[in-house]
Amino acid sequence: MIRIQDVSFTYKDEKHPALKEISLEVPEGGFLGIIGPAGAGKTTLARAIGGIVPHHYPGDFYGRITVNGMDTVDSPLTEISRAVGTVFQDVESQIISPVVEDELLYGLENFGVTREEIPERMDFALEKVGIPELKERSIASLSGGQRQKVAIASVIALKPRVLLLDEPTGELDPRSSRQIFTLLKSLNEDLGITVIVIEQKIMLLCEFAKQLAVMSEGKIFRQGETREVLTHAEELEALGVNCPRVTTFSRLLAARTGRELPVCVRLEEAENLARGLMK
Amino acid sequence: MIEMNHVSFAYGGEGPSVQDLSFRIEKGEFTAILGANGAGKTTTVRLMDGLLKPTAGKVLIDGADTAVSPVSQRARRVGYLFQNPDRQICKNTVREEILFGLRTVRGDEGEEALQKRAEETLRDFSFTGEEEPFSLSRGQRQRVALASILAVEPEVLILDEPTTGLDYRECCHIMDRIRRMNEEKQVTVIMVCHDMEIVLDYARRALVMAGGKLLADGGVPEIFRDRELMERSSILPPQMIGLSLRLGAGFEQADSPESMADAVISKMAGGKAK
Repeated sequence: MIRIQDVSFTYKDEKHPALKEISLEVPEGGFLGIIGPAGAGKTTLARAIGGIVPHHYPGDFYGRITVNGMDTVDSPLTEISRAVGTVFQDVESQIISPVVEDELLYGLENFGVTREEIPERMDFALEKVGIPELKERSIASLSGGQRQKVAIASVIALKPRVLLLDEPTGELDPRSSRQIFTLLKSLNEDLGITVIVIEQKIMLLCEFAKQLAVMSEGKIFRQGETREVLTHAEELEALGVNCPRVTTFSRLLAARTGRELPVCVRLEEAENLARGLMK
Repeated sequence: MIEMNHVSFAYGGEGPSVQDLSFRIEKGEFTAILGANGAGKTTTVRLMDGLLKPTAGKVLIDGADTAVSPVSQRARRVGYLFQNPDRQICKNTVREEILFGLRTVRGDEGEEALQKRAEETLRDFSFTGEEEPFSLSRGQRQRVALASILAVEPEVLILDEPTTGLDYRECCHIMDRIRRMNEEKQVTVIMVCHDMEIVLDYARRALVMAGGKLLADGGVPEIFRDRELMERSSILPPQMIGLSLRLGAGFEQADSPESMADAVISKMAGGKAK
């Protein structure tokens, strides 16, 4: 369980707070999507959950964040990073080894995993992410999508209870993006890992995330179950957050027919809605 | 006009990145280049700009071969917006950034004319000119990069993933601006883009690539309606086209939430889809 209570944060030397009185709870095994316009504070919130704020980025921090009961301000960053695995927006800045298996090994050795356990963990992570054949490949020879998977595998190998990803599909094509989200779903459902994703690809995010938090100007503007949040589409669009086109479609149908219709999040739902109306 | 004649290219020590590409792009077109990661899209647009020279075949910009034409000549005609604006921006203020491009490409017009052009561009993009590019958001930096390219008034605009990392509002702002240039000034736009909703909203023609080869060339909606092509090129069509394909006959023209809602309602009333 991640509990964020009245958190405000202002980066050192900045006048305006990046986070303003944020309160949010993510249950164990939750899958939270964070959306919002640029400058809303999404990355800062992710940094705060991972303890990087204020440990690495100093500033004025108020309130309290606990991850599985561990206070992210009082606990050492090394302890927090055992619980929270982070995949950064820029994967290039995260990968430091020239070969895939060395990249996984680096984290495992730093976490003090025993020599006997390392091969098992490495194979598990590569298998789970679906890239066992890349184990001995050089990082330079990999595509953007493959590198993204390596970054996720190197975090999975550390067996975190929380996986935090900042725009993990930014440079990926639609099919690779979907593969990454399918992988996150499987980690969430099969291993019970809590997943928190910041993402601009709203259609994909809404299809996979169980909960959404919409941020604007350092605040949580709205939070709740994904479908419930999308019922406030007009408010979101006014903030500069678009909704999936199937959601807009179902809203338009409801408005134009004067009927109470469900909010669609997935393509199949829109198809069923249309077929039901045309019967 | 840009013409690719049997163009191939291989990076040193590797197999060909693109193979035997042949197509023409006419003045005033708005073309998207689609394909999975590694399909050869960025290599293709770099060849079209002359940033890369073909290892076989010819690239002609208005008849001039990029392999021999001087960079200065091409730079006036073709503006290239990189995926990452930080690879482009090199000055400490937005005004200096815009002037840098102008002085490099249009230095022969004289400083007074360039200053005037820079001020017009700043006004147009709502910058004061004093902003420090690297203290701006990613979306704003992308706008700085675009402003400095458009100030030069290129005839061709090449955009490599122009909306990556931008939020929806920034994305619309940038793309609307590009569409205006295309429609009002007949600037030819060639765009690599992974966001199929953006492609559907803005581009009129699509080139589909896979494995370094050109698989298809056609109108955007028609391309997205080709299920077999989508499968072969690992592209997922935009949501409304995906829905129209699922619903079948009578929904071929429905490619937006509005037109789809209209089509469904007309079927409810027993009539034909619009």
